[in-house]
Amino acid sequence: MSQTFAALRGQLLDAAEAFAEGPAVLPEILEGLVSDVDHALAEPLEIFPVCHHSPASALAMGRRLRQKQPKVIYLELCEDLEPILTELRNCRLPVAVQAFASQVQGFPAAWSPLNVIAPITEASAEYQAIAYALETPGVELVLVDRSADHVFQWQPQEEPEEKEAPEEDLHGAAVGVEIGDLRPRFAELEQYLIHHGKVRHWSEWWDQFVEQPLADADYDTYRQVMALIGSLFRRLTPEGSPNLVSDENRERYMWTRIRAHLAESGLDRSECLYVCGAFHAVSRVEEAGSAPDTPDLEITPRTGTQWLYGLIPSSHSAIEAQFGLAPGSVSIAAATWEKGLKRSKLTPFRLEGQKGGRRKAAKPLPLPTPDAPVTDKLTEYLATPGAAAGLDNDELRGWCVDIVRLARRNGYLSSTADAIAIYQTSVLLANLRGRQRPTPYDFQDAAITCIEKDVVPGRRDVQHLCEILLGGDKVGQVGYEALPPLAKDVHDRLEPLGIDLQKRTISRALIDLSAQPGLAPCSRLLWRLQYLLPGHAVRTVMGSRRLGEKSVQESWDLDLGRQQRTLIELGYEGVTVEQVLEQRLRRAVRDPKATAADALAAVEDSLRLLESPRLTDDLGLRAVELLAGERTVDDAPQVLHLIRRLIAYFESPAHPDDQLPAWCQQFVTAGYAHYCTLLPTTFADEETGVRQVAAMLGFLFSMESLALSLGCERTQLELAVQQSAPQTPAKSALFWAARHQLGGLPLAELRHKCDELLANPLVVPSFPQYVSGFVHAMEPVPRLAPFVVETLSKAFARLPDPVLLPWLPNLITTLKQDAAELVPVLTREAGRTFPGQLPALDAWTAPWNRPARKVAPRSAALDRNGDPRARMLLDAHPAAALGVAELLGVAGEWQAAPAEDLDLASAASGSGPAMALLATYPESAKAAAGLIGG
Amino acid sequence: MLGSERADGLEREISQKWFGDRSIVERAIVTLASDRGLLLIGDPGTGKSWLAELLAAAISRNSTLVVQGTAGTTEDHIKYSWNVSMVIAKGQSRESMIPSPIMTAMEGGVIGRFEELTRSTSDVQDALISILSEKYVSIPELDDDNIVFAKPGFSVIATANSRDRGVNDLSSALKRRFNFVRIPVVTNKKSETEIVRFRTEELLRRHAIDLEVPPTLFDVLLQSFADLRAAAEAAKSDDEKLESSLSTAEQIGVLEDAVLHSTFFGEKALTAQTLASSLVGSLARRSPEDLAILNTYLHGVVEPRSKAEGGPWEGFLEGGRQAISALS
Repeated sequence: MSQTFAALRGQLLDAAEAFAEGPAVLPEILEGLVSDVDHALAEPLEIFPVCHHSPASALAMGRRLRQKQPKVIYLELCEDLEPILTELRNCRLPVAVQAFASQVQGFPAAWSPLNVIAPITEASAEYQAIAYALETPGVELVLVDRSADHVFQWQPQEEPEEKEAPEEDLHGAAVGVEIGDLRPRFAELEQYLIHHGKVRHWSEWWDQFVEQPLADADYDTYRQVMALIGSLFRRLTPEGSPNLVSDENRERYMWTRIRAHLAESGLDRSECLYVCGAFHAVSRVEEAGSAPDTPDLEITPRTGTQWLYGLIPSSHSAIEAQFGLAPGSVSIAAATWEKGLKRSKLTPFRLEGQKGGRRKAAKPLPLPTPDAPVTDKLTEYLATPGAAAGLDNDELRGWCVDIVRLARRNGYLSSTADAIAIYQTSVLLANLRGRQRPTPYDFQDAAITCIEKDVVPGRRDVQHLCEILLGGDKVGQVGYEALPPLAKDVHDRLEPLGIDLQKRTISRALIDLSAQPGLAPCSRLLWRLQYLLPGHAVRTVMGSRRLGEKSVQESWDLDLGRQQRTLIELGYEGVTVEQVLEQRLRRAVRDPKATAADALAAVEDSLRLLESPRLTDDLGLRAVELLAGERTVDDAPQVLHLIRRLIAYFESPAHPDDQLPAWCQQFVTAGYAHYCTLLPTTFADEETGVRQVAAMLGFLFSMESLALSLGCERTQLELAVQQSAPQTPAKSALFWAARHQLGGLPLAELRHKCDELLANPLVVPSFPQYVSGFVHAMEPVPRLAPFVVETLSKAFARLPDPVLLPWLPNLITTLKQDAAELVPVLTREAGRTFPGQLPALDAWTAPWNRPARKVAPRSAALDRNGDPRARMLLDAHPAAALGVAELLGVAGEWQAAPAEDLDLASAASGSGPAMALLATYPESAKAAAGLIGG
Repeated sequence: MLGSERADGLEREISQKWFGDRSIVERAIVTLASDRGLLLIGDPGTGKSWLAELLAAAISRNSTLVVQGTAGTTEDHIKYSWNVSMVIAKGQSRESMIPSPIMTAMEGGVIGRFEELTRSTSDVQDALISILSEKYVSIPELDDDNIVFAKPGFSVIATANSRDRGVNDLSSALKRRFNFVRIPVVTNKKSETEIVRFRTEELLRRHAIDLEVPPTLFDVLLQSFADLRAAAEAAKSDDEKLESSLSTAEQIGVLEDAVLHSTFFGEKALTAQTLASSLVGSLARRSPEDLAILNTYLHGVVEPRSKAEGGPWEGFLEGGRQAISALS
């Protein structure tokens, strides 16, 4: 134990004695604080304690680096993030370094995607260290903290709570890691400090009691005070807190890595600098220390998860939200940093080419200065009251004037009198809170007190205006060079649009494909992006790209500048948009839960968005496999819908190849067989809805001709229908419709059945379900529509009011729920059946009520409109007709038509205005005949 | 007002009297130290008048110089009026003048209070402007000694109800002379418990009633108010929510009523039944709307809870039912 702090130690022990009635551990804690600091300072490898987003840390770091110029910097940051740090120079800070894994191995699948971010701001010690290390030749930067993989390895293996991520959150659902997290580890201590510091939140306390006094402190004071605070929070951490366990593990990890690096490089420890949070600086775990014989932590290997690294834009407000800091605190820290730089005339380290901020030619570093021996600075710091920190008069005056002007612009009726009042109130508030000068927070309170009245006139209230005045939210941006290949590719390919995609506003892109056919690739890319990035990044305003459609003009809203993160995260999935799209579609159909309908939807998407027949075929074949493997028919309506649309597309001129693809033929035959097999079960099964059965029948009937042409057997369907025994009214109706379609149930019989049902008062309550069944039957048997209209009309006509009226809402809900898409067909048919005008209704009789017209037995008399010449031909050569009749099982004799009929018919067909016209002008007819070759 | 701590080094401990955000009090005090008036604005029952009273008492040892703003408040109430018989007898003089509480405050250099500022008419409000900006009142009826100057220390604390906005809107000239401090509705359960406990204890002491309020009943009261507030927020029309603003003051009222009832008419012990009937009695103002809401609440929320948790909720349900059936 060194004697540097002997005086302070004695003083503290005396104090502990004075508070003898306090807790018994008090002397131990007080003594421990000093020995912790002593221990940290005695470490041969210089430890630089930092706090996150602390300008004081950054200033001290800038000064210390200039003074010491270490050869190696060990930094508390995930070690696997190292390669990406060089890309920081292409970005405008704040940005976040991200590690991302979408395919997880060794972690619960529910955790996917794994996402770790470490935001970096300019006003931070870590940026100073990174910039120094990367810009100075011969300096090595070594990240020593656990890798992103270990972040999740060390997380408790329980399901993380589902958290709704706010929409505008720049960081998304990432886990944040931070250098130098320094905060009391239990709520009471924090509350106590805040209460007695007369501040509102932790950031303010920190600013007031640590940040301001340390801003201009010399390095020794800074280091000792930070270590002391770290030690205080550490010693007051409750035993067994999960955070402490994880922190200690990290310390073991970092020291193990440091020792390994030191041993490997053979460097002198005094030439290195270890930058870590103040909490870790005073670590007393056994594995801490740079001495070569210290025990190592056995580091578990990483899991098989493949991690990808990149940079995403961040912002002050996103950082505040992620790490629970007070709103505006990071902006205030940035302002303090700028102020500190100006005051101390320090040139900060900057990465070459860094965008934004101030630009200054980097001067060569002066020669390093040797260190003076460490002396006790703590006693002085603890004994003297804080220097008058806060706003000086000029600054406060300027702010008062500015806030009043800003408030006026935002609709407040503020005046110079308010500026004076704010000034006075700020000073009074600061005095009330025991400060010599007002802090930005006092100023904010004063401004709210003096300007805010009962209503906020504009969009922003005074608090928000103060935040704007204090620097506002700063949003970072990842430069083109630092983007992943996919994002670069997107930027390159959208260049013909002539829009600056880095702009942080929504830009409208107008694409006229007929005038500028060269923009077609851009349009295709945009459609793909819209599919891959649902949300606001790319949004179509005009134009559509449904199957087989191509718009001539399109209009797009592009917001890639603000939605950079989504595009960058897409970049972790592949090198081009097309590749990602293909992967996603393939993954969608290979998913264990994928259904045939999903596969067909993927086929449709592939046809819409990608010109890749091979992929489409693969997806289609997968659809066939999935359909054959399905045991339920839940998706039958979607399958029917999709396959109909796809077949229509393949047969349309939009499809270049006029043949149905092989997979599609297979799908139809497999579907025919599959649905025939399942039909009897689904008719009987209570859990299968009528909609599903109707869709199955729809598939079977509407694809029948195609399926038969591809080699299916109709008997299979007939047998399937015969085997079916429906249990519910709706399915019975469907069943009858199916039989009618197959010719087993003539319409008259069907009508009779319905009449019987309507006449039976016991069945009437369930009649709507029959109707629903019939309505569904219009899908497979469209020609049943007039009959459905008839059944409905009869029900309305015949049912007595007490039955009809309660039934009507039931009917409407049944129709609306189960057959919404078929209702238009029904109304159209009804429109055809019923008269269109009200007066016509009086004289109208329903078609089914009209007396059956006596159809004169069609004698052998020839149809007058038929061509007599055909008849004459048949009369002359009856053998062919008789042969066909024999094949059909009708035996008979040929009866020739009477001669007068033939004469009449020929006279009828040979007269009329057309014949007269032809007779008068025969030239055109002759010319036409000549062309045909007759 | 916020209570003392050991660190303050005072001779005796001062208990906390106002519970809420510290910065509100700080801003209020600072405003009074400046030359602007203080306007406390907030929903009814949030403790505006309580804070105003405490501030006035703490700063000037006198919280009685109050003008109550009503539609009938006239300029005389904030300036001065005359003792007519004395005027007839002796003529107009300083002796025959009756100074208003505000004028008294000016003369003494203390805090004057103006309750419900927005309820008073605009001419009264306008009279206040000159007092706040010139800090003197002239008495033109007198030939000499006809100006009353405000001594240093004079200021005005006004309160305004944010629900009354639009009745007599403040002019921007008057707004400019006041700093507005908004008192929020207490939603923090812990501090609300503190407030209710503190205020009821005080009331009980005043009535010299020795009755213990069981902590479980505190929870029942706070929970039922929280439920009703949530219901009021979810309501779409005014008919669907209670007329009461469900403020903390309302809670105190309910508890006080229950305590008084059980002391004088009951078994000298506060039961859940009494609490429920007081709650129904104080909140049911409109029949049938409020009764219907309370009935829905009892059967939709309290009944399942009494089955699930039992305890005081069962008695609460029973008492509530009886009270509703008695009222409807």
